[in-house]
Amino acid sequence: MNISKILYITAGIGALAVGYFALSGNSDEIDYSTQVKPILNKNCIACHGGVKKQGGFSVLFREEALGKTKSGKPAIIPGDPEHSDFIARLSHSDPEERMPYKTAPLKKEEIEILTKWVKQGAKWGEHWAFTRPKEIEVPNKGMFAGFFSWFGGKKWEKNDIDYFVSDKLEKEGLKHADQAEKGVLLRRVSLDLIGLPPTEKQLNDFLADNSDDAYEKAVDQLLQSPQFGERWAGLWLDMARYSDSKGYEKDEGRSIWKYRDYVIKAFNDNMPYNQFLTEQLAGDLLPNPTKSQYIATAFHRNTMNNDEGGTDDEEFRTAALLDRVNTTWEMFQGTTFACVQCHSHPYDPIRHDEYYKYLAFFNNTRDEDVPDDSPFLREFKSEDSTKLVALKTWLKTNVSDKASAEYEQKVRFLEPKIHPHWGDQFVNGFLADNKYLSVRNGGTVRFKQMPVEGKTRLMVAYGNKTGAPTRMEVHLGSPDGKQLMAIRLDTTGKGGWTNSWDYKVFDLPKLSGKQDWFLKFTNPKVKPEESTCVIGYFILLDDFPGKGKAGYETGQQMFMDLVRTDPAITTPVMFENPADFTRKTQVFDRGSWLTKGKEVQPDVPKIFGGLPGNLPKNRLGLAKWLGSKENPLTARVAVNRFWEQIFGVGLVETLEDFGTQGFTPSNPELLDFLATRFMNEYNWQPKELLKEIVMSATYQQDSKANAALLEKDPMNRFLARGPRVRLNAEQIRDQALLVSGLLSYKMYGKSVMPYQPDGIWNSPYSGMSWRLSDGEDQWRRAVYTYWRRSGPYPSLMTFDGGSREVCLARRIRTNTPLQALTTMNDPVYVECSKFLAKRMLQENGDTEAQIRKGYRLALSRDITPQKLEVLLSFYQNTYKTYQQKPKEADKLLGICKDDAIKPKNIPSTAAMTMVASAILNLDEFITKQ
Amino acid sequence: MKIYEEAQTTALNFETRRHFLKQCTTGLGMMAMGSFLQSCNFLGGNTSDPLANTGNPLAPKLPQFAAKAKSVIYIHMAGAPSQLELFDYKPELEKLHGQLCPQSLLEGKKFAFIRGVPKMLGTRAKFSQHGQSGAWISDMVPYLQTVADEVSFLKAMYTDQFNHAPAQLLMHTGSARLGRPSIGSWVTYGLGSENANLPGYVVLASGGKNPDAGKSAWGSGFLPSVYQGVQCRSKGDPVLYISNPDGVSGDLRKQSIEAINAINQKEYEEFKDPETLARISQYEMAFRMQTSVPEVMDIKNEPEYIHKMYGTKPGEESFANNCLLARKLVEQGVRFVQLFDWGWDTHGTGKHESVDIGLKEKCMESDQPVTALLMDLKQRGLLDETLVVWGGEFGRTPMQENRGGLTQAFYGRDHHTEAFSVWMVGGGVKKGYSHGETDEIGYSGIKGRTSVFDLQATIMQCLGFDHEKFTYQFQGRPFRLTDVHGSVIKEILA
Repeated sequence: MNISKILYITAGIGALAVGYFALSGNSDEIDYSTQVKPILNKNCIACHGGVKKQGGFSVLFREEALGKTKSGKPAIIPGDPEHSDFIARLSHSDPEERMPYKTAPLKKEEIEILTKWVKQGAKWGEHWAFTRPKEIEVPNKGMFAGFFSWFGGKKWEKNDIDYFVSDKLEKEGLKHADQAEKGVLLRRVSLDLIGLPPTEKQLNDFLADNSDDAYEKAVDQLLQSPQFGERWAGLWLDMARYSDSKGYEKDEGRSIWKYRDYVIKAFNDNMPYNQFLTEQLAGDLLPNPTKSQYIATAFHRNTMNNDEGGTDDEEFRTAALLDRVNTTWEMFQGTTFACVQCHSHPYDPIRHDEYYKYLAFFNNTRDEDVPDDSPFLREFKSEDSTKLVALKTWLKTNVSDKASAEYEQKVRFLEPKIHPHWGDQFVNGFLADNKYLSVRNGGTVRFKQMPVEGKTRLMVAYGNKTGAPTRMEVHLGSPDGKQLMAIRLDTTGKGGWTNSWDYKVFDLPKLSGKQDWFLKFTNPKVKPEESTCVIGYFILLDDFPGKGKAGYETGQQMFMDLVRTDPAITTPVMFENPADFTRKTQVFDRGSWLTKGKEVQPDVPKIFGGLPGNLPKNRLGLAKWLGSKENPLTARVAVNRFWEQIFGVGLVETLEDFGTQGFTPSNPELLDFLATRFMNEYNWQPKELLKEIVMSATYQQDSKANAALLEKDPMNRFLARGPRVRLNAEQIRDQALLVSGLLSYKMYGKSVMPYQPDGIWNSPYSGMSWRLSDGEDQWRRAVYTYWRRSGPYPSLMTFDGGSREVCLARRIRTNTPLQALTTMNDPVYVECSKFLAKRMLQENGDTEAQIRKGYRLALSRDITPQKLEVLLSFYQNTYKTYQQKPKEADKLLGICKDDAIKPKNIPSTAAMTMVASAILNLDEFITKQ
Repeated sequence: MKIYEEAQTTALNFETRRHFLKQCTTGLGMMAMGSFLQSCNFLGGNTSDPLANTGNPLAPKLPQFAAKAKSVIYIHMAGAPSQLELFDYKPELEKLHGQLCPQSLLEGKKFAFIRGVPKMLGTRAKFSQHGQSGAWISDMVPYLQTVADEVSFLKAMYTDQFNHAPAQLLMHTGSARLGRPSIGSWVTYGLGSENANLPGYVVLASGGKNPDAGKSAWGSGFLPSVYQGVQCRSKGDPVLYISNPDGVSGDLRKQSIEAINAINQKEYEEFKDPETLARISQYEMAFRMQTSVPEVMDIKNEPEYIHKMYGTKPGEESFANNCLLARKLVEQGVRFVQLFDWGWDTHGTGKHESVDIGLKEKCMESDQPVTALLMDLKQRGLLDETLVVWGGEFGRTPMQENRGGLTQAFYGRDHHTEAFSVWMVGGGVKKGYSHGETDEIGYSGIKGRTSVFDLQATIMQCLGFDHEKFTYQFQGRPFRLTDVHGSVIKEILA
């Protein structure tokens, strides 16, 4: 086994890119990004970079590299390599002095490059991915067209992508492959665009259509199919770490499926990518946000929530916050940002404090790791919605637009909440399960710096099941301070930890500024160790607007009714802190949230020029910057991701790292060409981009390889053949369901629970259980499967699904025996085999015809005689076995809960089931080829 | 740059293809050829480079340097057992029993449940000295007392997480947040597995629940999923979907795999995709696992004296059975066996959650089988090459828990990060040794303090890896189990 060979190949790919870049400039001029930076990254930066600065020397930023080192002199003197210690040390005779320290010296050529570079002024260049993609001319387009037509030849290129590819192929001395066989191509493009293979009818129609644009028509149909969004949502949900549970110990359920619906719809509607990201990052900050735009912001509420008793909510709020920053970078910028949490970026020119400036964009949302996932959007049943409409109408007619919007928001979100963890200095009281305010008779608790300015009412969400009213006094400044008010919390039907609260509103005296409140609870009826009541949260309200207007009392009553109404659906969303609640952002010293340093304001890293002055310094400004044409990464990263889904490998293989440590693009011109076209011509719309990709001759090539091609290009980076890639977890399940005729096309809604063996869910302190869904819900597409972090659906995990704990930019495909066991023995696949067998047996003709049928249903092509021979003989042997042991056949078919296929001829049905199962297990079936 | 991964994939492509084209073209897809990997010397020569790859990502690999331990049995008592009732004997604490905790111990500290000023709680167990080493061991674990001279104690362990899920994650993945590979994944990634017919990394849970950290405690994080732990279950299929559907015999399964692989072979001839060859071998391996897994997971055929020794009852879901299984698995070449036992969280909120009654019950369930495991490994000559680790995710307070500021009905202790005990036996560690010391009341370490990262570094060292050099490139930087922390606890190495 030879690792150097692989490195050689990798270096070869790199060298090509270097060649490209080098050729684009003056060849005598040393190029920093492609010639110098790789040497520095490989040899110097581990000790002289963003983490360590040995000898006071770092080569990450120019000003640091040219600055004085510990020796008192600068190590690099631009224009003067002879007096630059940086150069002298590379060939020093004393091994203690010679750099790189204690490892092999640099190669002669490398030293030459560095020397020349210093002589030329030690100019810092920018990494390719950190500068905006340029408009690129399509190579050789039109050059040969005329030439070919003279000879009556037909050019291979179908669209612009192909010119880039053929240009590269020519340089590599490779030749493109022929077009794939029609049925194979339809299956490929169908799996790629909608995640499902063609139905029998689609296949027949396509094969029968001999028009020139038959393929394009099929592509257009697929792009319009509602299943399109379901397929692409799968990719998105991995990155968005979508899950139906909150994570950590109890890992209780979370109602956030509306976000999945949003993503599916967005893809189906061909929503421009920059709008898509803006809505997800900052939908709540858009002018007059729609419900859908609020739901979009659930994107960053997919962070985990720790409900374990004894956890510090601030610690896990911070963890979620860091995750949002890292995910935003990884997803939209393809850049590693996580390491800057603790120190400056080791390789890329991003400084430590820039992490926290970026974090400041996210640090002012109201969520605080509380168990009910506040803040959440409340959606009502239709009759309650009518009430909401009535309230809105009243507000519109009677109060200002601003007040009207504000009160509608109050009903929709019940925010800003003041959570019990705000309380401290407990006397005879505590946070029950570290979550709920629970004070005993005579006990007190402090709520520090309550933002009471202009507030006139206090809303209390509580439960009191003691059988007697509890008195709550508010004292100012100390438990015995001036009494501000005393309120009565009557016993409630509802209330407690698991069901919703009861709400009471009390008038406040006129207040200003911020005040320390001491709450004192009395309820003489309770035992000493019992709590007087349980409090979920407080909300400070101002006056209900429109005082003196007709119907004021009714308006206020409608408002309170809606507050008390349990919503039908809740979805956690982003909700920006009002001014009173603003948090300041400080740098974490060495990345620890407990050691806070200097305060910072929101901004994006300097290397990207900072946030343009015309944008607001909030999440919306950030989203606008990310989605602008000025951002060098967004379009490239997006285009690369779509490309990877189609071809199996990205143009930049490291989808998650476009930084200087990531791989150089295999075809940088093509990447930039597609990125600029995506922004400028397609207005960021994914369907146009995908159409361009699948319409290319490159994509339509046959995927067969041969020894020479594998030797030269094992990873198919040059694209001299079509993609051949194992299907992803969702595609594997969905395909089996479709082929067997079981698939339900039902869209949207809550997650479903298809068959799963017992004992997968076994989290402590959790009463959740897997309840098999009814009817067609068992056969829904994989994207709708209930995803619990502590016990994800086994067959999806076996095929490399992510556990959705953190952003997963790229699934790494594995090939394991557990996968074989799943598709052979998982009852879901056994069921699929039976139903496929049933479809096969419905075919008129002999067994041979039936097997042909099954194979064609599964693979959209005709079976070869040799393969048919194998399956036929397997059928015959199996048939004999089951004929001798009909009881065994009964058992196999008995698993089927559906009586629809009660077999007349049991041995043949059982034998055909085994043949169908074999088909569902073929390499070519679980592979797109 | 994912150079390692790139190297691996590419290597796989090269090696598989070359190998088959040049040496192995005749026998493909035929069950008759027996072990696909072994019959063709697929593994090639041994190499000292853990990254050098062969077709099988779980093929055995040599560590960075020669080491004593070849496999690990990690016994995690989920919930965190009380060191003060088991191994950390504190007579001074006994004297302070019932007194209010001094303010100095509470200032600036955070506890999960203790509020206000709690009382000190003297040990609820009897201690005595055992073996030549004179180790102080509690009467709650009388069996373990008899093998005191085999054990290396770490008495001044500490962590920085005082909640179960994050603390367990830290213990097993080196990070309190989700998403990192577990120690077993690192080990199987580095060493592969000795037995191609069994998963290389097996997880067994008892006590009726999975640990708080859930499956992430044996997840592969950013390492390829082939390195994640496979949970073997005592009810239903020992490994998910290992059993054929009703009505499908082993013989029929064999025929069906033959048919699948014969067609895959044709497919390979047409498309020349090395992945197809890998799939052929995975189907064969799946078939072998169908026999080998149920075999190894079945303890019925163990001799009577073994059952007596462990206190095992076939068919039961128990910690004892898992101990016996751990021995069988290690004997069969499984690299990493992870045991979790639920129910050690003794807060004093009930009888079974108390440090006198509940803890004793847990000890009665586990002491005999744990000791039997050690003895059994020893009598089979496996103890020298197997590292057995025992511990929880943190320690327990010398104070009595006063949840909500109230005295509990039973004696209990809250979570404690500053001091807890872990012990190790076998491959690479000293016998009859104790490292680290806590203060007079067992509140915090005063000598030989060792962190979770130190423990991880030491385990890796015993297996032949320098924890600082054993890394994986992910998201643009090299990651390692111990992140940027940890040093090997040299004192306990043999």
